[in-house]
Amino acid sequence: MTPDRFRILVSGILIVGVTTSAVLIAAGFVGSLLVGWEGSLSGAAAGTGATTDFGALITDLLAIRPIGLAQAGLVVLIATPVVRVAASVVAFALEGDRLYAAITLAVLAILLTSLVVLR
Amino acid sequence: MTVGSDVGIFAISLVAGLIGSLAGVGGGIVVIPALTLLFGVDIRLAIGASIVSVIATSSGAAAAYVRDRMTDMRIGMFLELATTSGAVMGALLAAAVAPSFLYVLLGIVLLFSAVQQVLRLGEELPPKTEASPLAARFRLVGSYPDGRLGREVPYAAQRVPLGFALMAGAGVVSGLLGIGSGALKVVAMDGAMRLPMKVSSATSNFMIGVTAAASVGIYLGRGDVDPTIAAPVALGVLAGATVGARILPRLSNRNVRLVFLPVLVVIGLQTLARGLGVGL
Repeated sequence: MTPDRFRILVSGILIVGVTTSAVLIAAGFVGSLLVGWEGSLSGAAAGTGATTDFGALITDLLAIRPIGLAQAGLVVLIATPVVRVAASVVAFALEGDRLYAAITLAVLAILLTSLVVLR
Repeated sequence: MTVGSDVGIFAISLVAGLIGSLAGVGGGIVVIPALTLLFGVDIRLAIGASIVSVIATSSGAAAAYVRDRMTDMRIGMFLELATTSGAVMGALLAAAVAPSFLYVLLGIVLLFSAVQQVLRLGEELPPKTEASPLAARFRLVGSYPDGRLGREVPYAAQRVPLGFALMAGAGVVSGLLGIGSGALKVVAMDGAMRLPMKVSSATSNFMIGVTAAASVGIYLGRGDVDPTIAAPVALGVLAGATVGARILPRLSNRNVRLVFLPVLVVIGLQTLARGLGVGL
Protein backbone atom coordinates (compact mmCIF):
# COMPACT_ATOMS: atom_id res chain seq x y z
CA MET A 1 0.00 0.00 0.00
CA THR A 2 1.40 3.39 -1.00
CA PRO A 3 1.40 6.27 1.51
CA ASP A 4 -1.15 8.07 -0.69
CA ARG A 5 -3.61 5.18 -0.60
CA PHE A 6 -2.99 4.83 3.14
CA ARG A 7 -4.04 8.43 3.67
CA ILE A 8 -7.11 8.02 1.46
CA LEU A 9 -8.10 4.90 3.46
CA VAL A 10 -7.79 6.59 6.88
CA SER A 11 -9.44 9.76 5.64
CA GLY A 12 -12.25 7.69 4.08
CA ILE A 13 -12.90 5.79 7.34
CA LEU A 14 -13.19 9.11 9.16
CA ILE A 15 -15.59 10.53 6.56
CA VAL A 16 -17.81 7.43 6.61
CA GLY A 17 -17.83 7.31 10.44
CA VAL A 18 -18.51 10.99 10.87
CA THR A 19 -21.21 11.11 8.17
CA THR A 20 -23.00 8.01 9.48
CA SER A 21 -23.00 9.32 13.04
CA ALA A 22 -24.08 12.82 11.99
CA VAL A 23 -27.00 11.43 9.95
CA LEU A 24 -28.13 9.19 12.84
CA ILE A 25 -27.81 11.96 15.45
CA ALA A 26 -29.60 14.46 13.20
CA ALA A 27 -32.38 11.93 12.51
CA GLY A 28 -32.76 11.37 16.25
CA PHE A 29 -32.77 15.08 16.86
CA VAL A 30 -35.46 15.82 14.24
CA GLY A 31 -37.45 12.80 15.48
CA SER A 32 -37.32 14.17 19.03
CA LEU A 33 -39.01 17.35 17.81
CA LEU A 34 -41.82 15.23 16.32
CA VAL A 35 -42.51 12.58 18.96
CA GLY A 36 -40.17 13.46 21.86
CA TRP A 37 -36.89 11.64 22.70
CA GLU A 38 -38.61 8.59 24.16
CA GLY A 39 -41.46 8.44 21.61
CA SER A 40 -41.50 6.01 18.71
CA LEU A 41 -41.49 6.87 15.01
CA SER A 42 -43.01 3.46 14.18
CA GLY A 43 -45.95 3.87 16.54
CA ALA A 44 -44.59 1.56 19.25
CA ALA A 45 -45.06 2.44 22.91
CA ALA A 46 -42.89 5.22 24.34
CA GLY A 47 -39.68 4.15 26.07
CA THR A 48 -39.35 4.41 29.81
CA GLY A 49 -35.59 4.13 30.42
CA ALA A 50 -33.24 6.98 31.29
CA THR A 51 -31.85 8.81 28.23
CA THR A 52 -28.34 8.06 29.49
CA ASP A 53 -28.93 4.30 29.52
CA PHE A 54 -27.24 2.83 26.46
CA GLY A 55 -28.28 -0.69 27.52
CA ALA A 56 -31.68 -0.29 25.86
CA LEU A 57 -30.10 0.77 22.56
CA ILE A 58 -31.25 -2.23 20.49
CA THR A 59 -34.85 -2.10 21.76
CA ASP A 60 -34.98 1.65 21.16
CA LEU A 61 -33.60 1.21 17.64
CA LEU A 62 -36.14 -1.52 16.77
CA ALA A 63 -38.97 0.78 17.90
CA ILE A 64 -37.29 3.64 15.95
CA ARG A 65 -37.17 5.89 18.99
CA PRO A 66 -35.27 9.18 18.52
CA ILE A 67 -33.23 8.43 21.64
CA GLY A 68 -32.07 5.14 20.06
CA LEU A 69 -31.08 6.85 16.82
CA ALA A 70 -29.07 9.51 18.69
CA GLN A 71 -27.40 6.90 20.90
CA ALA A 72 -26.49 4.79 17.87
CA GLY A 73 -24.99 7.90 16.25
CA LEU A 74 -22.91 8.60 19.36
CA VAL A 75 -21.71 4.98 19.46
CA VAL A 76 -20.61 5.20 15.80
CA LEU A 77 -18.84 8.49 16.57
CA ILE A 78 -17.00 6.95 19.54
CA ALA A 79 -16.08 3.83 17.55
CA THR A 80 -14.60 5.83 14.65
CA PRO A 81 -11.16 6.54 16.24
CA VAL A 82 -10.87 2.90 17.31
CA VAL A 83 -11.68 1.64 13.80
CA ARG A 84 -9.20 4.18 12.41
CA VAL A 85 -6.41 2.75 14.61
CA ALA A 86 -7.34 -0.82 13.67
CA ALA A 87 -7.29 0.02 9.94
CA SER A 88 -3.89 1.73 10.40
CA VAL A 89 -2.41 -1.52 11.71
CA VAL A 90 -3.39 -3.26 8.48
CA ALA A 91 -2.32 -0.32 6.33
CA PHE A 92 1.16 -0.05 7.93
CA ALA A 93 1.56 -3.82 7.48
CA LEU A 94 0.56 -3.62 3.80
CA GLU A 95 2.98 -0.73 3.37
CA GLY A 96 5.69 -3.09 4.66
CA ASP A 97 6.39 -0.92 7.72
CA ARG A 98 6.69 -3.60 10.38
CA LEU A 99 7.89 -1.20 13.08
CA TYR A 100 4.80 0.98 12.77
CA ALA A 101 2.45 -1.97 12.29
CA ALA A 102 3.74 -3.20 15.68
CA ILE A 103 3.53 0.24 17.35
CA THR A 104 -0.03 0.74 16.09
CA LEU A 105 -1.01 -2.77 17.16
CA ALA A 106 0.30 -1.98 20.66
CA VAL A 107 -1.77 1.24 20.71
CA LEU A 108 -4.84 -0.73 19.64
CA ALA A 109 -4.21 -3.33 22.36
CA ILE A 110 -3.86 -0.61 25.03
CA LEU A 111 -6.98 1.10 23.71
CA LEU A 112 -9.05 -2.09 23.86
CA THR A 113 -7.62 -2.94 27.31
CA SER A 114 -8.59 0.52 28.56
CA LEU A 115 -12.14 0.06 27.29
CA VAL A 116 -12.36 -3.09 29.40
CA VAL A 117 -10.33 -1.96 32.44
CA LEU A 118 -11.59 1.60 32.77
CA ARG A 119 -15.23 1.12 33.56
CA MET B 1 -34.18 21.17 26.73
CA THR B 2 -36.22 23.52 24.57
CA VAL B 3 -35.66 24.01 20.85
CA GLY B 4 -34.19 27.45 21.60
CA SER B 5 -31.56 26.08 23.92
CA ASP B 6 -30.82 23.27 21.44
CA VAL B 7 -30.07 25.90 18.79
CA GLY B 8 -27.95 27.81 21.32
CA ILE B 9 -25.97 24.69 22.25
CA PHE B 10 -25.48 23.90 18.55
CA ALA B 11 -24.18 27.41 17.86
CA ILE B 12 -21.74 27.43 20.77
CA SER B 13 -20.55 23.92 19.89
CA LEU B 14 -19.90 25.11 16.35
CA VAL B 15 -17.54 27.76 17.74
CA ALA B 16 -15.94 25.13 20.02
CA GLY B 17 -15.35 22.83 17.04
CA LEU B 18 -13.87 25.67 14.99
CA ILE B 19 -11.43 26.82 17.70
CA GLY B 20 -10.64 23.26 18.78
CA SER B 21 -9.81 22.07 15.26
CA LEU B 22 -7.45 25.03 14.70
CA ALA B 23 -5.75 24.87 18.11
CA GLY B 24 -5.46 21.06 18.34
CA VAL B 25 -7.64 20.86 21.46
CA GLY B 26 -11.00 19.21 22.08
CA GLY B 27 -13.24 22.16 22.77
CA GLY B 28 -14.09 21.22 26.37
CA ILE B 29 -12.79 24.65 27.35
CA VAL B 30 -15.80 26.19 25.52
CA VAL B 31 -18.38 23.41 25.86
CA ILE B 32 -18.19 22.76 29.62
CA PRO B 33 -18.55 26.36 30.88
CA ALA B 34 -21.19 27.17 28.23
CA LEU B 35 -23.35 24.17 29.12
CA THR B 36 -23.12 24.67 32.88
CA LEU B 37 -23.26 28.48 33.06
CA LEU B 38 -25.55 29.36 30.12
CA PHE B 39 -27.81 26.33 29.91
CA GLY B 40 -27.84 25.08 33.50
CA VAL B 41 -26.63 21.61 32.53
CA ASP B 42 -25.32 19.43 35.36
CA ILE B 43 -21.48 19.47 35.42
CA ARG B 44 -21.38 15.66 35.16
CA LEU B 45 -23.43 15.66 31.94
CA ALA B 46 -21.45 18.66 30.65
CA ILE B 47 -18.20 16.69 31.04
CA GLY B 48 -19.84 13.69 29.35
CA ALA B 49 -20.84 15.92 26.43
CA SER B 50 -17.34 17.41 26.29
CA ILE B 51 -15.78 13.95 25.85
CA VAL B 52 -18.12 13.50 22.87
CA SER B 53 -17.03 16.95 21.67
CA VAL B 54 -13.35 15.92 21.80
CA ILE B 55 -14.01 12.86 19.62
CA ALA B 56 -16.19 14.90 17.24
CA THR B 57 -13.55 17.63 16.88
CA SER B 58 -10.89 15.03 16.20
CA SER B 59 -12.80 12.91 13.69
CA GLY B 60 -14.48 15.90 12.03
CA ALA B 61 -11.21 17.67 11.25
CA ALA B 62 -8.86 14.69 10.91
CA ALA B 63 -10.41 13.47 7.64
CA ALA B 64 -9.25 16.67 5.95
CA TYR B 65 -5.95 16.96 7.89
CA VAL B 66 -4.93 13.41 6.97
CA ARG B 67 -5.89 13.90 3.31
CA ASP B 68 -4.05 17.26 3.11
CA ARG B 69 -0.91 15.78 4.81
CA MET B 70 -1.14 18.19 7.75
CA THR B 71 -1.25 15.25 10.20
CA ASP B 72 1.89 13.18 10.69
CA MET B 73 0.37 9.75 11.28
CA ARG B 74 3.68 8.13 12.31
CA ILE B 75 4.49 10.78 14.90
CA GLY B 76 0.87 10.62 16.08
CA MET B 77 0.88 6.86 16.46
CA PHE B 78 4.36 6.81 18.09
CA LEU B 79 3.25 9.36 20.70
CA GLU B 80 -0.12 7.64 21.09
CA LEU B 81 1.85 4.75 22.64
CA ALA B 82 2.82 7.14 25.44
CA THR B 83 -0.59 8.79 25.89
CA THR B 84 -2.76 5.66 25.88
CA SER B 85 -0.53 3.73 28.28
CA GLY B 86 -0.27 6.88 30.43
CA ALA B 87 -4.07 7.18 30.44
CA VAL B 88 -4.51 3.62 31.67
CA MET B 89 -1.91 4.22 34.39
CA GLY B 90 -3.60 7.49 35.36
CA ALA B 91 -7.00 5.88 35.69
CA LEU B 92 -5.55 3.12 37.87
CA LEU B 93 -3.73 5.70 40.03
CA ALA B 94 -6.80 7.91 40.36
CA ALA B 95 -7.63 6.69 43.85
CA ALA B 96 -4.08 7.17 45.17
CA VAL B 97 -3.15 10.68 44.01
CA ALA B 98 -4.62 13.99 45.21
CA PRO B 99 -6.13 15.67 42.12
CA SER B 100 -5.67 19.19 43.51
CA PHE B 101 -1.87 18.82 43.46
CA LEU B 102 -2.02 17.61 39.86
CA TYR B 103 -4.24 20.45 38.75
CA VAL B 104 -1.79 22.95 40.24
CA LEU B 105 1.20 21.24 38.61
CA LEU B 106 -0.53 21.03 35.23
CA GLY B 107 -1.70 24.65 35.48
CA ILE B 108 1.88 25.80 36.11
CA VAL B 109 3.24 23.73 33.21
CA LEU B 110 0.60 25.15 30.83
CA LEU B 111 1.16 28.77 31.90
CA PHE B 112 4.93 28.33 31.66
CA SER B 113 4.38 26.97 28.14
CA ALA B 114 2.27 30.03 27.35
CA VAL B 115 5.29 32.23 28.12
CA GLN B 116 7.39 30.10 25.75
CA GLN B 117 4.67 30.49 23.13
CA VAL B 118 4.85 34.28 23.41
CA LEU B 119 8.63 34.15 22.91
CA ARG B 120 8.10 32.10 19.74
CA LEU B 121 5.45 34.38 18.23
CA GLY B 122 7.90 35.82 15.70
CA GLU B 123 8.98 32.40 14.46
CA GLU B 124 7.18 31.01 11.38
CA LEU B 125 9.06 27.69 11.19
CA PRO B 126 11.35 25.85 13.62
CA PRO B 127 15.03 26.41 12.68
CA LYS B 128 16.28 22.80 12.75
CA THR B 129 15.25 20.14 10.25
CA GLU B 130 18.04 17.58 10.86
CA ALA B 131 16.84 14.36 12.47
CA SER B 132 18.44 13.01 15.65
CA PRO B 133 19.38 9.28 15.51
CA LEU B 134 16.30 8.42 17.55
CA ALA B 135 14.00 10.48 15.31
CA ALA B 136 15.57 8.82 12.26
CA ARG B 137 15.16 5.35 13.79
CA PHE B 138 11.45 5.92 14.38
CA ARG B 139 10.99 7.93 11.17
CA LEU B 140 9.73 10.98 13.03
CA VAL B 141 10.52 13.12 10.01
CA GLY B 142 8.43 14.34 7.13
CA SER B 143 7.17 17.32 5.23
CA TYR B 144 3.86 19.06 4.74
CA PRO B 145 2.50 21.26 1.93
CA ASP B 146 2.19 24.78 3.31
CA GLY B 147 -0.70 26.57 1.55
CA ARG B 148 0.44 29.91 2.92
CA LEU B 149 4.14 29.64 1.99
CA GLY B 150 3.25 27.82 -1.23
CA ARG B 151 5.92 25.14 -0.81
CA GLU B 152 6.70 21.78 0.80
CA VAL B 153 8.11 22.32 4.31
CA PRO B 154 10.39 19.61 5.75
CA TYR B 155 10.57 18.93 9.49
CA ALA B 156 12.21 16.50 11.94
CA ALA B 157 11.32 15.82 15.57
CA GLN B 158 13.88 17.09 18.10
CA ARG B 159 14.28 15.96 21.76
CA VAL B 160 12.25 12.79 21.22
CA PRO B 161 12.61 11.42 24.81
CA LEU B 162 11.36 14.71 26.30
CA GLY B 163 8.41 14.78 23.90
CA PHE B 164 7.57 11.15 24.66
CA ALA B 165 7.75 11.79 28.43
CA LEU B 166 5.50 14.86 28.14
CA MET B 167 3.04 12.81 26.13
CA ALA B 168 3.03 10.06 28.75
CA GLY B 169 2.37 12.81 31.32
CA ALA B 170 -0.48 14.11 29.15
CA GLY B 171 -1.91 10.58 29.11
CA VAL B 172 -1.65 10.20 32.90
CA VAL B 173 -3.37 13.56 33.32
CA SER B 174 -6.18 12.48 30.95
CA GLY B 175 -6.72 9.26 32.83
CA LEU B 176 -6.52 10.86 36.28
CA LEU B 177 -8.47 14.03 35.73
CA GLY B 178 -10.70 12.98 32.86
CA ILE B 179 -9.63 15.88 30.65
CA GLY B 180 -8.49 15.69 27.05
CA SER B 181 -5.05 17.32 27.50
CA GLY B 182 -4.93 18.47 23.87
CA ALA B 183 -3.13 21.65 24.96
CA LEU B 184 -0.35 19.62 26.57
CA LYS B 185 -0.04 17.54 23.39
CA VAL B 186 0.43 20.63 21.24
CA VAL B 187 3.00 21.96 23.73
CA ALA B 188 4.90 18.66 23.63
CA MET B 189 5.09 18.62 19.82
CA ASP B 190 5.62 22.32 19.23
CA GLY B 191 7.67 23.21 22.30
CA ALA B 192 9.65 20.05 23.06
CA MET B 193 9.89 18.31 19.69
CA ARG B 194 9.96 21.54 17.69
CA LEU B 195 7.57 20.48 14.94
CA PRO B 196 5.90 23.18 12.83
CA MET B 197 2.87 24.65 14.61
CA LYS B 198 0.34 23.46 12.00
CA VAL B 199 1.72 19.90 12.10
CA SER B 200 1.62 19.98 15.94
CA SER B 201 -1.97 21.17 15.97
CA ALA B 202 -3.22 18.75 13.28
CA THR B 203 -1.36 15.79 14.84
CA SER B 204 -2.72 16.66 18.30
CA ASN B 205 -6.19 16.82 16.74
CA PHE B 206 -5.60 13.33 15.30
CA MET B 207 -4.48 12.00 18.70
CA ILE B 208 -7.08 13.48 21.07
CA GLY B 209 -9.86 11.38 19.52
CA VAL B 210 -8.00 8.18 20.31
CA THR B 211 -7.11 9.30 23.86
CA ALA B 212 -10.73 10.30 24.51
CA ALA B 213 -12.03 7.03 23.06
CA ALA B 214 -9.82 5.23 25.59
CA SER B 215 -11.69 6.78 28.52
CA VAL B 216 -15.19 7.30 27.12
CA GLY B 217 -16.25 3.85 28.39
CA ILE B 218 -16.20 5.15 31.97
CA TYR B 219 -18.49 8.04 31.13
CA LEU B 220 -20.94 5.86 29.19
CA GLY B 221 -21.03 3.32 31.99
CA ARG B 222 -21.67 5.97 34.64
CA GLY B 223 -24.56 7.41 32.63
CA ASP B 224 -22.74 10.73 32.05
CA VAL B 225 -23.42 10.83 28.30
CA ASP B 226 -26.94 12.21 27.77
CA PRO B 227 -27.83 12.18 24.05
CA THR B 228 -30.38 14.97 24.53
CA ILE B 229 -27.39 17.24 25.32
CA ALA B 230 -24.61 15.41 23.46
CA ALA B 231 -26.59 15.32 20.17
CA PRO B 232 -26.66 19.10 19.53
CA VAL B 233 -23.07 19.32 20.85
CA ALA B 234 -21.83 16.60 18.47
CA LEU B 235 -23.62 18.10 15.44
CA GLY B 236 -22.35 21.62 16.18
CA VAL B 237 -18.78 20.52 16.86
CA LEU B 238 -18.66 18.36 13.71
CA ALA B 239 -19.81 21.33 11.61
CA GLY B 240 -17.30 23.70 13.27
CA ALA B 241 -14.40 21.25 12.95
CA THR B 242 -15.16 20.66 9.27
CA VAL B 243 -14.90 24.40 8.64
CA GLY B 244 -11.75 24.73 10.79
CA ALA B 245 -10.02 21.94 8.87
CA ARG B 246 -10.53 23.87 5.63
CA ILE B 247 -9.04 27.03 7.13
CA LEU B 248 -5.91 25.69 8.87
CA PRO B 249 -3.81 24.78 5.79
CA ARG B 250 -4.12 28.39 4.55
CA LEU B 251 -3.20 30.05 7.84
CA SER B 252 0.40 30.95 8.69
CA ASN B 253 1.99 29.03 11.56
CA ARG B 254 2.16 32.32 13.43
CA ASN B 255 -1.61 32.82 13.16
CA VAL B 256 -2.29 29.26 14.33
CA ARG B 257 -0.13 30.08 17.35
CA LEU B 258 -2.19 33.23 17.89
CA VAL B 259 -5.33 31.05 18.06
CA PHE B 260 -3.64 28.52 20.36
CA LEU B 261 -2.07 30.99 22.80
CA PRO B 262 -5.26 32.41 24.39
CA VAL B 263 -6.71 28.88 24.54
CA LEU B 264 -3.57 27.77 26.38
CA VAL B 265 -3.72 30.69 28.83
CA VAL B 266 -7.42 30.09 29.61
CA ILE B 267 -6.92 26.34 30.09
CA GLY B 268 -3.84 27.02 32.27
CA LEU B 269 -5.74 29.48 34.48
CA GLN B 270 -8.82 27.23 34.70
CA THR B 271 -6.66 24.26 35.69
CA LEU B 272 -4.66 26.23 38.25
CA ALA B 273 -7.83 27.71 39.75
CA ARG B 274 -9.40 24.28 40.06
CA GLY B 275 -6.31 22.98 41.83
CA LEU B 276 -6.35 25.89 44.28
CA GLY B 277 -10.08 25.48 44.84
CA VAL B 278 -10.92 28.89 43.38
CA GLY B 279 -14.12 29.05 41.33
CA LEU B 280 -13.53 30.28 37.79
